[in-house]
Amino acid sequence: MRTVFELSWRLLRGGGRRGMLGSLLTLAAVAVSTGLLLFAVGANHAFAARSAADAWRHPAKTHGTATAIEALNTDYARGRQITVVELAALSGDAPVPPGMKRFPKPGEVWTSPALASLMRTMPADQLSQRFPSRTPTGTLGRSAVVHPDELVAVVGRAASDPALSAGRSDTMIADGVASPTRIDRYATGSQSATAFVYQVLAAIASVLMVVPLLVFGGAAARLTVARRDQRLAALRLVGATPGQVVAVTVAEAVLTAAAGAVLGTVLFAVAMPALTQIPIAGGTWYASDVWPGLWVLPVVLAVPVLVGISAVAGLRRVVVGPLGVARRETPPGLRAVRPLAFLAIVIAFGFLAGGLTSMGRTGLILLLVFLALAFLGINLVGPWIVAIIGRIAAGTARGPARLLAGRRLMDDPRAAWRTVAGVALTGFVAGFLALLNPSSGMLGHGAAADRLEITVPEASAATSAAQARDRLRALPAKVTVERAAKPSHGVRGTDGEGNDEPDGGGNDEPDGTATIRAVVDGGRENVDRARTALTGLIPGHNATTEADSDIGSARLLADLRTGALTVLAVSFLIAITSAGITGASAVLDRRQTYAMLRLAGTPLDVLDKARRQETLIPLLVMGGGSLATGLFFATPFAMGFGSTGALTLVAFVTLGFGGILAASALSRPLLRAVTTNPAPRPD
Amino acid sequence: MNTVPPSVLSGTGLVKAFGPTVALGGVDLAVGRAEAVAIMGPSGSGKSTLLHCLAGIMRPDRGEVRLLGDRIDDLGERRRSALRRSRFGFVFQFGQLLPELPADENVALPLMLGGTARREAVQAARGWFGPLGLAGLEGRRPGELSGGQAQRVAIARALAPRPAVVFADEPTGALDQATGHDTMRLLVEATKHNGASLVVVTHDPAVAGWCDRTVEVRDGRLLTPFPGAA
Repeated sequence: MRTVFELSWRLLRGGGRRGMLGSLLTLAAVAVSTGLLLFAVGANHAFAARSAADAWRHPAKTHGTATAIEALNTDYARGRQITVVELAALSGDAPVPPGMKRFPKPGEVWTSPALASLMRTMPADQLSQRFPSRTPTGTLGRSAVVHPDELVAVVGRAASDPALSAGRSDTMIADGVASPTRIDRYATGSQSATAFVYQVLAAIASVLMVVPLLVFGGAAARLTVARRDQRLAALRLVGATPGQVVAVTVAEAVLTAAAGAVLGTVLFAVAMPALTQIPIAGGTWYASDVWPGLWVLPVVLAVPVLVGISAVAGLRRVVVGPLGVARRETPPGLRAVRPLAFLAIVIAFGFLAGGLTSMGRTGLILLLVFLALAFLGINLVGPWIVAIIGRIAAGTARGPARLLAGRRLMDDPRAAWRTVAGVALTGFVAGFLALLNPSSGMLGHGAAADRLEITVPEASAATSAAQARDRLRALPAKVTVERAAKPSHGVRGTDGEGNDEPDGGGNDEPDGTATIRAVVDGGRENVDRARTALTGLIPGHNATTEADSDIGSARLLADLRTGALTVLAVSFLIAITSAGITGASAVLDRRQTYAMLRLAGTPLDVLDKARRQETLIPLLVMGGGSLATGLFFATPFAMGFGSTGALTLVAFVTLGFGGILAASALSRPLLRAVTTNPAPRPD
Repeated sequence: MNTVPPSVLSGTGLVKAFGPTVALGGVDLAVGRAEAVAIMGPSGSGKSTLLHCLAGIMRPDRGEVRLLGDRIDDLGERRRSALRRSRFGFVFQFGQLLPELPADENVALPLMLGGTARREAVQAARGWFGPLGLAGLEGRRPGELSGGQAQRVAIARALAPRPAVVFADEPTGALDQATGHDTMRLLVEATKHNGASLVVVTHDPAVAGWCDRTVEVRDGRLLTPFPGAA
């Protein structure tokens, strides 16, 4: 084994400038792949860490003896969400919350660092007077806070406090509200639906990035091997056994890949400070969440192994045809089941699409399943369509370049598809996103930010309104009462089971409620003052505005866009690089034929044009097709096709074609190099 | 005054070196109309370099190459490339057929490169299949042909543009003896029948035996076939 590595190292160093260049290309490709792979793993790790840090706030009903009561609420200040956890001990062994040294005593307020500084900077009558203590008793530790900018308060109360016996009813933000619940320990794992959705989305995004990454890495590994076959023949001549030859080549590829993997890890580490600044779900990231920790090790180990496997596979091809005689026969046609499967997916989606938005969480999962199926379907139908395109191109070709391109597409539609698959699948994402455009409608502009609302039982509406007027008398506010105008609006109780806990408070009935409304003049400061003044008016209920409830959905949509743009950027990067590598490796694979053609007087332009056409024609058809499919899949959620949507499309078309053209142009010098001196070997 | 009838192709004083290695050390060779010349020599003798210089694939360091009296060695790559596809034909040991193209399109390709419309080019290409014993194989792809059949398709491909000279580099190298024999006979006959000259590089005396004349290359120089000939 040692001699094998020694020989590989020698070959690697002695490969000459062109050989070294090839190794460097592979090194760079593996480094980029590893970096992006770590990014994908790190993203999942980070979302899982956030989800875990969030879990304890969602009270999990005890089945044994309850030792504490926990309730969750969401408040707002300066247009930002504040998560308020209220805790009361029922006995001496109440569980200590994560990030705290002890269970909070009644009247204590523990805050996240970001909330502490906001309480310091904002006037007391706008924020800190909402809490039983104006200055925080203590600071919440890292394990209780989801992200560095998060505003969290843990408020200690007595078990008899009305706030811990009143049910919460505002279901507009179901994840941010939980009625008081008797607990004996804190929940772990993934508790909130939002966190779950983020984790699912991160997983999907990773799949979208990792699959092309693996294809890309494999292509890079084969590139190394393709260059080697000549040298391998020489090794065979001096008496190396086939096993040794394979070992030397694989060792060389693995050595390069190992260096690439380490370099990629360094790249990722260097990029981390920038990556942690990408705001998702209302905040930036803790570096320790984004760094995948022990997961780095398997990734760094797996990459060289995968490259080695890919190298063996590539080598088999070289070894199978040592004479270079292409034993190629007419390929069997691709089966018609491919387009049928794709059509079935599209039609099934067409039928279900209308109902998806009204199905809630099931609808979301169905959508995700359909998105995955759509990717699969496009991947299935891709080679089939490429073969048809090839047949049409070859059948209608007048010139030699088009004929060559068409025949080549017919000959190996899967290979041609691999070159364009990345960009075509990116087209699907771009099409999907073009319609999913939060800025173009729906959001925030119309929602009132100066009208605070609070839901009360109808019976006590008049009393509560009078109290509200009294509390707001120093402010330019006008308080009105509206009786159960919208019975369906939001007063459904938290979760079915949260309602009867612990008091069964009668204010959760769908009928018999009223809304106290306070229109506050004087901008955000006065609204925050009014919020502060109204705190505790109805125990367990905060006064909120319409704009407040939009914060969450606006954020989710903005995050979807951020995430999608990240995926889009990454997949473009991979798609274009892999198109370049595939192009280069295709030239190397066929260098003998190219050299012969060139020798017989075929102009370089014709060869180059044929090469370009066999990429661009399928790209045009498949990119357009995937784009259309993406648009179709987004129609149920279409928010109007605004300028951002058009921009996404234009950017996709420009980047896709420009990138592929540029990548393909990169292998032109290579084509020239393999054909310029068609007979470098005397005899 | 030169009274000898002008040769179709001639190389005079050809010198070519690769770094310190001298592949050709001043070679003169003339090929007459419809003449078949074999270039023989051991490996490394420079015979392939000679063929590449004569065929306009390589430019010699010194000396000149003339086709029908016109110098071709000083032309640019583009012009030499055009010359190769219109005036020369090539048959190699293997690999010159495109695996994804059916046989008739492989033969038609040089015609299409020369600007012939596809329909005419394929029509003309198919005309070669009967005389070369390939009838019925027009739609086969190279992978579906035997070695001998593939070489005959390559011969059709070389002759289709009606070249002045056909160059063959070990044309039977990948074939068994009997098939090689047949292929060589066909190559010589078809080339002569079409009025083209033939230059064959080989180290096989049996292959050389099919030619009108054999020249031997040793260490980059021609061995004079008989004493006294200048």
